[in-house]
Amino acid sequence: MDNQEEKTSGSNSKKIAIAVGVILLFCTLISFVGSNVGALIFKSKPIGIFAVNPPHVVLPAEMPFPGVHLSNTMLTSFITIFILMLLFVSAGRKIKLVPSGLQNFVEFFYESLAGFIEDTAGTEYGRKFFPVCATIFLFVLFNGWLSLIPGFETIKFNGEPLLRNPNTDINVPMMLAVVSFCFVEYWGFKAQGLKYLKKFINVDSLIQGFKEMFSGRIKSGLNGIIMGLVSLFTGILEILSEFIRLVSFTFRLFGNMTAGMILVTVAIFLVPWVFPAVFYVMEAFFGFIQALIFSGLTLCFLVLAIMSHEEEAH
Amino acid sequence: MDFESTRTLAKLIAAGLAIGMGAVGPGIGVGMIGAGAMVALGRNPEARGPIMTNMILSIAFAEAVAIYALIVAILLIFVA
Repeated sequence: MDNQEEKTSGSNSKKIAIAVGVILLFCTLISFVGSNVGALIFKSKPIGIFAVNPPHVVLPAEMPFPGVHLSNTMLTSFITIFILMLLFVSAGRKIKLVPSGLQNFVEFFYESLAGFIEDTAGTEYGRKFFPVCATIFLFVLFNGWLSLIPGFETIKFNGEPLLRNPNTDINVPMMLAVVSFCFVEYWGFKAQGLKYLKKFINVDSLIQGFKEMFSGRIKSGLNGIIMGLVSLFTGILEILSEFIRLVSFTFRLFGNMTAGMILVTVAIFLVPWVFPAVFYVMEAFFGFIQALIFSGLTLCFLVLAIMSHEEEAH
Repeated sequence: MDFESTRTLAKLIAAGLAIGMGAVGPGIGVGMIGAGAMVALGRNPEARGPIMTNMILSIAFAEAVAIYALIVAILLIFVA
């Protein structure tokens, strides 16, 4: 009796799954036949709803409100900040010792982030680095995920899209990179004082080489001088790499997000129904990965900045 | 051929070359990182957490170079 009931309910859900799969496949096929790609292959005209306009990519952010100098990416970033504030403030009201509901959900985020940061930075500095890294992570993450809601880039005001992913505007990743750079330098100076500059301008070995040469031991003195010149050059390379990091952070985030946006737009242009869902999933995944990488790399460079030069060698 | 059409031709060829040749290096790099991670995981399946975290981090570094090539290609087509 039990076996038979299981079999019917099992085969029922299998039937439903197969039916849904067939419907989706049918939708994909008719949209493929009717779309622009199908028009090229079968030499017909694109049918009605499947005739999507070619994607029109504009890299700088547009200003939808006439006269007001406010771009659509800035509007979306205000919305992101508002949603984040709403989420965390409403979870923080009436804090209970044993959490439940919204507080439980928010504590899950907090604990995973705090665990990730304290794993890399140690307990003492983990708490100090938490605000910077967690803010960058949540800001980039919610920027990316909010822009997957239908309505972004399609609701038009005055001919321009009203809402757009802030990560696709080059100013936002640049701003985040500058913030992360400033914090790395700040924590480097705060943890090590002026000795932090020894990482960049490394004249110790050079001076020691000169001292040895003047005190008579010429061969080891020359050796020391050569090593000193090498470490001076390495210090200059370190300064250069600090600034190259600004460019690399900016373009990594901007490039990934813009490429994702273009990919989704082109996928909708090619086969309008069902097929772009694959690229949507990829976009969601990449949004999360890029947020993790931005905050993770900031964390790595913060940890490198507070470690002194001698500790790093051993 | 007049100047404008030569310019468009050059832009398109340059964009294709930029992303085509620029994606070879990062592709090989990401593959090698993945292979190294698989070998490490096979030797020590308990260290799965740190291995995966470091692998994702290294893949981001390698992927960034491919993104630079994509930015150059996009700039060539849409801005230049």
